[in-house]
Amino acid sequence: MKSTLTTMVLSLTALTVVLGALLAWVHNLTEEPMAQAEAKARTEALTEILPPFDNDPAADRTVVDGLTVFPARHGGAFSGAAVEAWSDNGFGGRITLLAGFDASGSLTGYRVMSHAETPGLGARMGEWFSSATGSRSVLGTAAELHVRADGGDIDAITGATITSRAFLEAVNSARNAYESYLKSISR
Amino acid sequence: MKALSVLYDGLVRKNPTFVLILGMCPTLGTTSSALTGMSMGLATLFVLVCSNVVISLVRNLIPDKVRIPAYIVIIASFVTMLQMVMQAWLPALYASLGIFIPLIVVNCILLGRAEAFASKNNPALSAVDGLGVGLGFTAALTLLGAVRELLGTGAVFGARVYPEDFGSLIFVLAPGAFIALGFLIALFNRLTSRQ
Repeated sequence: MKSTLTTMVLSLTALTVVLGALLAWVHNLTEEPMAQAEAKARTEALTEILPPFDNDPAADRTVVDGLTVFPARHGGAFSGAAVEAWSDNGFGGRITLLAGFDASGSLTGYRVMSHAETPGLGARMGEWFSSATGSRSVLGTAAELHVRADGGDIDAITGATITSRAFLEAVNSARNAYESYLKSISR
Repeated sequence: MKALSVLYDGLVRKNPTFVLILGMCPTLGTTSSALTGMSMGLATLFVLVCSNVVISLVRNLIPDKVRIPAYIVIIASFVTMLQMVMQAWLPALYASLGIFIPLIVVNCILLGRAEAFASKNNPALSAVDGLGVGLGFTAALTLLGAVRELLGTGAVFGARVYPEDFGSLIFVLAPGAFIALGFLIALFNRLTSRQ
């Protein structure tokens, strides 16, 4: 078609309006499943990383130091909590994770909720830090964590030290929030 | 017959990865395992078929001077749709491919096919072209991912072939992507040049 100002403006406008409407329609269609998938992922994660509980941690959540805490209770007694924490120092930006702690303060599990790390490298943090190989595991620890390169005793993911640092930073900030939370409920 | 030759072109004779050496960013970035490589290939295949058909449908309505922005808008819309659909129904896969899904927009294979094929052919043939090139890309990424996963971790699609300790990690890392890709291109050229 001939390129005059009118045809150019009209065709691009028409195209963007049609595609914009299509995108809005798909967005409407996926909005609910997306929220459901997120809620489901969170419930699954909480079940996996927390000691057994019979309350609804998502309904009982509170905010401590700017982080969301999901307390777990079993038969009315406090059994631990999960903390949603993040670090903005990942290789691909923000890493968000859920860290679960038992009542004594040791880490019972974690689940990476969202990240933009390199597939095959940093993206392996989901399995790496719970693996029994070497000193990779962060589970069962109750102290602040650092990678070996920084004088700590956790093995960083091979080829992804930046991701490892950010991951541990998020875990540590979750732990700090959990400790504040413990203080606030024992008061 | 024409459709078959178009399909064969995309898959073998003008394979985007092994012959045209296009779309190297996702090729090198997502092939650390066979599964992520294949998923990336299929995601690209979907966008490629959709964008080829739509671009072919509107090819006579778009003024020449603004055709590139129009193609980009169409491609970006399909990528965004794919992104939303994956987030809703395949959140685990979406999380593993990360940034590479939105980056399909800037994959030069898509704009290349739009400009070289879809803007000159009818929608049916453009769909076949998208399918051929997309399958060629998917096959190449799956193969490269399988080779890297096998040499790096001793498994293919997660199924163990030999113990992980004997794998050489370099193949999972970036340099291994270049090395494995180089050898695969050489092998591919050797096999196809005999004919």
